[in-house]
Amino acid sequence: MGITFLITSIHYLIRVNEFGEGEEILGPNTIIVQKQVSNSSVLNITRTDFSKSEIEKIKSESFILDVKPVVANNFSVSFQTDDALVPYFRSDVFIQTVDQDFLDIKTDNWNWKEGDTLVPIIMPRDFLVMLNTFMSAKGIPQISDDLAMGINFKFTLESKDKEKKEWIDAKIVGFTNEVAAILVPENFMTYGNNKFSDGSDQKVTQIMISGKESEFGLVEELLEKRGLESKNSQMVIGRLKSMIGTLFLVVLGISVIAVFMSGLVLIQYLQLLMSKNAYEVRTLLRIGYHPDEIIRKFFVYFIRIFGIVAGLGLTMFFIFKYFLDSMFESGGLYIDTGITLGSIGALLIAYLLFTAASYFTAKKGIFKEY
Amino acid sequence: MNITLANIMPTPLASINHGADSIWGSQIELEHGKRIMLNASSGKGKSTFTTTVFGLRRDYTGTLLYDGRDIRELTPSDWTEVRKTKISVVFQDLQLFPKLSVRENLLLKNELTDTYTESELKKLLEKLEIDNKWEQQCGLLSMGQQQRVAIVRAMAQPFSWLIMDEPFSHLDVDNANKCLEIIHDRTMEQGAGFVLTSLGNNHGYTFDQELKL
Repeated sequence: MGITFLITSIHYLIRVNEFGEGEEILGPNTIIVQKQVSNSSVLNITRTDFSKSEIEKIKSESFILDVKPVVANNFSVSFQTDDALVPYFRSDVFIQTVDQDFLDIKTDNWNWKEGDTLVPIIMPRDFLVMLNTFMSAKGIPQISDDLAMGINFKFTLESKDKEKKEWIDAKIVGFTNEVAAILVPENFMTYGNNKFSDGSDQKVTQIMISGKESEFGLVEELLEKRGLESKNSQMVIGRLKSMIGTLFLVVLGISVIAVFMSGLVLIQYLQLLMSKNAYEVRTLLRIGYHPDEIIRKFFVYFIRIFGIVAGLGLTMFFIFKYFLDSMFESGGLYIDTGITLGSIGALLIAYLLFTAASYFTAKKGIFKEY
Repeated sequence: MNITLANIMPTPLASINHGADSIWGSQIELEHGKRIMLNASSGKGKSTFTTTVFGLRRDYTGTLLYDGRDIRELTPSDWTEVRKTKISVVFQDLQLFPKLSVRENLLLKNELTDTYTESELKKLLEKLEIDNKWEQQCGLLSMGQQQRVAIVRAMAQPFSWLIMDEPFSHLDVDNANKCLEIIHDRTMEQGAGFVLTSLGNNHGYTFDQELKL
């Protein structure tokens, strides 16, 4: 049972942790937060931007892995369609960039350097909904994510005094529900801000926080204490993952203790077996059997016993997994049902540890009779 | 292989007075191919001699040499080689596997050395009139029958020395003689020597040497 719970808890810890990954571009346990807008902030009594010291204070909390500002454009940007297949559409937009470390996206698709004629962008999903509403109103068929990624777009970058202006092509490489602005690579934002900004200080109104796994409750507490807010969906997923993760961590802890205790009992059984056969071992040594040969015989016998235990544990795990996956699915948690390498790895580690322990038990027992 | 006992004195026997002709505390050479009787009364260390010479006991002073090599230097692999090919022993307590049959007891040794075929082993048992016990559990045999099985097992390996600790103590004269005949033939065949510990009975055999404890 110890082995079964060990594999089960590790498997589901990994799966719960993976939950939501890949669907979103922000890394696991990462949220974007801003200060809550109150009446006093409207009247400019309290600030809605983050100072450097505020960011450092949040970063110094033990349950926070990293904090980085979300950089926004400090110049005018407009976005338009530039494709014969799609009707003309143009809008002033707000662009942002987030640190590469926080993004769960392949770097090959996500880079830009001065001189490049195409900017990869990550589009808020709401924007696609808006675009489809517009297409529908024009009597044009709506487009899917994949089709949208094939459409040519164009940015117009312009200084606030309208003296400088530049056009650059853009292509969607992904969508997000987590960020409200169009995301662009960091280099492109730096280029735009350096070239088109009027030189005024740029305020940091949003920051990204990456919290430690299973300590999401502490992150939430911090947000509340500091009057910060995040998108509700991000909070719910984080809370859910943290809660289930904690539950499985408890089960994992109990499993490790159970496996350790079972291991001790098995080793004691092996010692008992060896002492019960002490006469036979002694006699075999006296008639010319090599100690290593007898050690090998006992060792093979021991690892067969644990092989059966491990096999039973694995079978029980598959039965448990079948029921737990069904329960998670019924509860709306669509986790990957494949076998995790980590759970099989844990079984292998337990097997190897027991193998080593049995070898040394056999060796000690045989040489005691030598 | 010559065995040298250079002033060997087992610790448990150190407090006992040993005679001037005792091997304990003396320089003794067991020369290759010699047939030796080791004569002593009870408690003088016959079993201690067997187990010490066979390397099972190390609680002694002095030096024990196999062909000039101190046996304290032997590694587990060396000891395996000695017990498989150089020295065969019939222990006083026989050291058979009581739960295994006669066949299994003999094959367990013979498979290690590949000395005899099964039919040859059966012939040896036949000579000692216990061939009908082939499939019988050793623990259920009489002590005399078990002694004969242990003697046949000791034959089932190549050796330079055969050391026997009161091997005929439960045998009648006729059976003891049959056993001695087999032992004689086997040692002659290999040019090996043997040491037979006894309480004084030479079993009508002419030994090359007689030692005392």
